[in-house]
Amino acid sequence: MSDSENKEGINDSSDIPKDADVSSENSENITIPSHSGDSTLQKKNKVDIFLKATANAPIMKRRKWTVDHDKTIAWIISFLRKYFKLDSSESLFLYVNQSFAPSPDQVVRNLYECFGTDGKLILHYCQTQAWG
Amino acid sequence: MATDREVLREIWEGKLPVCFELNQEEVNDLQAPEPYYLIVPRLSYFPLVTDKVRKHFVKYIHPDKLDAEIWLDYNGTPLKWHYPIGVLFDLNNSDIQLPWTITVHFDKFPEEELLHCTSRETVETHFLSCLKEADALKHRTQIVMNMQKKDHNQLWLGLQNDKFDQFWAVNRKLMEVGGEESFRYIPFRCYYKDEPCLQRLIKPLSESGCRKTLSQLLEELNMLQDGLSQLKVTTHGIEPPLDTPLQWMSEHLSYADNFLHLIVSSVG
Repeated sequence: MSDSENKEGINDSSDIPKDADVSSENSENITIPSHSGDSTLQKKNKVDIFLKATANAPIMKRRKWTVDHDKTIAWIISFLRKYFKLDSSESLFLYVNQSFAPSPDQVVRNLYECFGTDGKLILHYCQTQAWG
Repeated sequence: MATDREVLREIWEGKLPVCFELNQEEVNDLQAPEPYYLIVPRLSYFPLVTDKVRKHFVKYIHPDKLDAEIWLDYNGTPLKWHYPIGVLFDLNNSDIQLPWTITVHFDKFPEEELLHCTSRETVETHFLSCLKEADALKHRTQIVMNMQKKDHNQLWLGLQNDKFDQFWAVNRKLMEVGGEESFRYIPFRCYYKDEPCLQRLIKPLSESGCRKTLSQLLEELNMLQDGLSQLKVTTHGIEPPLDTPLQWMSEHLSYADNFLHLIVSSVG
């Protein structure tokens, strides 16, 4: 399942900060406070995600990111793989609600609408299957 | 809990006749193979029913591709193995003639469009993940997480081996309302036009405690701009009346993954 993501990770070695779709700490998007209501984010077609390491996964310096709401889970996994410069043999899993692994083609907006709390979607990532 | 057992059984027994053909460009033999015919359960997933299809065609393809993962297309559109078969059929329903003719490929895997499926375990992982997600929507205290591994196995084997009683002996626990009047939210995936499927939080009861219906779900999804009469909702090959209560639908018309899969299309 992760083959395509791996490939993408290898082929595309662009630096993360240059990635236009993820707003960085200093960009204008950061002016959106995390508690801003749904309406603000939806107008901008963005979703706040909060990435939390689980088990032995590497830690990210910043955990809150703003992404386009039509981005997929596969895209976020690929982003994390690039961020951590993971080898293609290393796996990475994403979980919602600390219980289920969303399908790679699931769009962030669906998860945010159903499982978002306080204006953000919390995603746990780990390198071994944490919640089966 | 689900009570109309007859309905559950009817849904479970939904089947589709499929005619599998090997992609002509991949035939590496003087003679093209005969098509392979199967009757497949609507609730199942293609990787669970295509072992024999693979075995039938593998003799006719280039030896380099013997170990390749097979993938399927209908009319040029790759079929997502992680959607239940019935959903894939209903999505293309308007122009399919039975038997449903599907092309089998061993070559040129469409990386952009399909997820890889290397074994039945991949399907099992996906299936259990969907069950957990549905459970998180339905219940305040999650049931799947507190089940034993053997219950998970029973659900999976029931689906895989097409055993209604085996599956429902465990699944009925997931369909309980747990002392409440209804589920917390209705687990559903709504397919409309070519957009990615839509999931939103929709409660089965209104503020005043009345049971919400299918038309209220469409309304909450902002799909009624052109009026109710312009929309058609299909699931399991049928069009449930728009005044069907959502709670009842969730208990009786959900797929094995515990989600309602609703295909919405414009009339005419």
